[in-house]
Amino acid sequence: MARAVGIDLGTTFSLIATMQGGDPVIIPTSEGERLLPSVVAVTKTGERLVGWLAKRQGVTNPENTIYSIKRLMGRKFKDPSVQLDMKKLPYKITEAPNGDCKVVMGGKEYSPPEISAMILQKLKTDAEAYLGEKVTDAVITVPAYFNDSQRQATKDAGAIAGLNVIRIINEPTASSLAYGLDKKKESIVAVYDLGGGTFDISVLEMGEGTFQVKSTSGDTHLGGDDFDQRITDWLCDEFKKQAGIDLRQDKMALQRVRDAAEKAKRELSTMQQTEISLPYITADASGPKHMNIVLGRSKMEQLVGDLVDKSIGPCRQALKDASLTPAQINEVLLVGGQTRTPLVQTKVAEFFAQEPKKTVNPDEAVALGAAIQGGVLKGEVREVLLLDVTPLTLGIETLGGVATALIPRNTTIPTSKSQVFSTAADSQPSVEVHVIQGERPMAGDNKTLGRFILDGILPAPRGMPQIEVAFDIDANGILSVSAKDKGTGREQKITITASSGLSKEEVQKMTRDAEAHAADDTQKKEAIEARNTADNLVYQAEKVMREHGDKVPADLKQQIEGQIAAVRSAMQGQDTANIRRTVQELTETMQKIGASVYQQQPGAPPPGGQAPPGAGGEGPGPGKGKPDEGTVEGEFREV
Amino acid sequence: MEEDRQETPVESGAPDAQRYLDNWRRAEADFENYKKRIEQERAETAKFASTSLILNILPVLDDLDRAFKTVPEKLAHLTWTDGLRLIHRKLQATLEAQGVTEIMALGEKFDTSIHEAVGETTGEDGKVIEEAQRGYRLHGRVIRPAFVIVGNGKQQEKN
Repeated sequence: MARAVGIDLGTTFSLIATMQGGDPVIIPTSEGERLLPSVVAVTKTGERLVGWLAKRQGVTNPENTIYSIKRLMGRKFKDPSVQLDMKKLPYKITEAPNGDCKVVMGGKEYSPPEISAMILQKLKTDAEAYLGEKVTDAVITVPAYFNDSQRQATKDAGAIAGLNVIRIINEPTASSLAYGLDKKKESIVAVYDLGGGTFDISVLEMGEGTFQVKSTSGDTHLGGDDFDQRITDWLCDEFKKQAGIDLRQDKMALQRVRDAAEKAKRELSTMQQTEISLPYITADASGPKHMNIVLGRSKMEQLVGDLVDKSIGPCRQALKDASLTPAQINEVLLVGGQTRTPLVQTKVAEFFAQEPKKTVNPDEAVALGAAIQGGVLKGEVREVLLLDVTPLTLGIETLGGVATALIPRNTTIPTSKSQVFSTAADSQPSVEVHVIQGERPMAGDNKTLGRFILDGILPAPRGMPQIEVAFDIDANGILSVSAKDKGTGREQKITITASSGLSKEEVQKMTRDAEAHAADDTQKKEAIEARNTADNLVYQAEKVMREHGDKVPADLKQQIEGQIAAVRSAMQGQDTANIRRTVQELTETMQKIGASVYQQQPGAPPPGGQAPPGAGGEGPGPGKGKPDEGTVEGEFREV
Repeated sequence: MEEDRQETPVESGAPDAQRYLDNWRRAEADFENYKKRIEQERAETAKFASTSLILNILPVLDDLDRAFKTVPEKLAHLTWTDGLRLIHRKLQATLEAQGVTEIMALGEKFDTSIHEAVGETTGEDGKVIEEAQRGYRLHGRVIRPAFVIVGNGKQQEKN
């Protein structure tokens, strides 16, 4: 089935997005950009250009370069706003026989939907090239204040571009979707959208997955471009004071200053000050002139403060129209690139008396939300398979009561995982598998899901038998745990149904507990690890003394025996540091044995090297597992 | 009797099974396509990962370009100045080694896919008369168009 796309058809820029693997993603243009300028042009040679290419030639061809077409969509020629825009736009706007607007480009008249269709067509073509499949179904966004004829004009534009417009949705609704607010229950949302050239504030009421626009307000000529202009003007003024030259007279220099101003504005969103350095910006009789001006965030805030204040009036109006107070708003969303400016965020937070949400890329929120809506509409047709995740970590208890994780929390199910363990004592006849659930490092602090015993293990030194423990969770959350002795093929298993698991409240409590006890638990786990290390070292040392004792000098032998006793006695106590210290001493002495054995018998394996001391937390437990010899070494090294 | 019943498919379950199988295939196909796309994107990302760093270094190169355009006569022949020229050249070469190439502009036909007009002046219509700032490509993709001043045909009427 063909996928649906979501399109943010903006005044200055347009974007297209689609659902991929359950998440909305922006589709880049053929130029590799995520944004497409909403600009269309016909060159002197009659060639039609859209997007970046059209924008780049605007200066040389202003009367045939159409931008801000969104301002004319579905409007009558006599509309006061059209009359106002006509004075600012360099291209010709005429009246159609039915009273609508038309624009003139390349000596030909076009209706606004036709121009918008060219932008949509470009987005569609680029998306098809990128996705490698045909794109037809689309959700297109419009401002909440658009009336029926403006919405119809947008729909027409889609149809002209060869798109099947499955729905027109409001931009603030799309933003709310991008923020995942549809999953919440009833709430009142304010969407503050400050883009490049327009400002919109919308108040929405949400309930049961529906969005109702309570009120809208805004300023159709307020945006990031005004901010850039303020900074550009200030830079030109400062330079004039310093060098006595007005850069506004020099188009090339002015272009560089404008770019630098925009860059400085962006940098000041994260930094406290920035340096605007434009060497050789101009020259006079005395030689070249350089611009080098430091702009601090507070100075920039002075320059643009009144622009930000201008946006608060419409916010107040929107609340008044909806008969609400700021305290009644549950969520405030920031949309539009200009909301990255810290001053905007502060003022909005002040007005609504709450921190606004800003986690979704403000340039992309609308398009992403439209893509989600497209996915939802398509989802009605296709059966949706919901994949669940395990809310808590699942594992088993290993030596010393340590919880060893097999399936970490938030793993998507169905899934399975197996790991090889071994015995903790020589000739251990059976292992007990204790299945646990939870985030705490110690098994005893987690919830027990079940236990079973695998017996019939043939007599063997500790660490030799290979016991494979396998966890499997099916799509219904039913957990099966099996343990298999790879030597004998004996197997035992247990099935734990989801009902024996935890309620939502329990999950939350356990997660909170884990966080609260993190430090405490780590200490406990470290203590056990030290004890396991010590236990292993003593075992190894005694083994070496049994096998190679005769080759060890008597004084060394005595020293080692004394140190083994010291480790043992330290293990009786609770002092982890003491255990570590005695282990360290014994380890060092053991290395001397290696040296002395080698001296007597060149070529023989180092006795102390067979299993380097220092067991990890996953050490073999009494009746619990440990990997085979090779794995033992690997794990023991991570002290 | 018992055996017969075991071999007969459960009739009411058959259409469900078909639908599940269909959905499973779809999911598998979606996943396969997703993997392919991610692989492609990973390759793209690796190739163009340096774009933003390069875009931030280019203004430094621009400034050096401007500096060398106006070297005062009395400095021009100093070996010290030659040293600076070598540094300039080294920076260019370093960027070239990363796949950065210059865009031709001066005297070329104005082409919006590689040039951005910042002004017009007298001169041949549709030709680049002046280059205000050099443009660059990275691995063939335009990362910054050349800023140019285009002829308006005032002295040489077109057609």
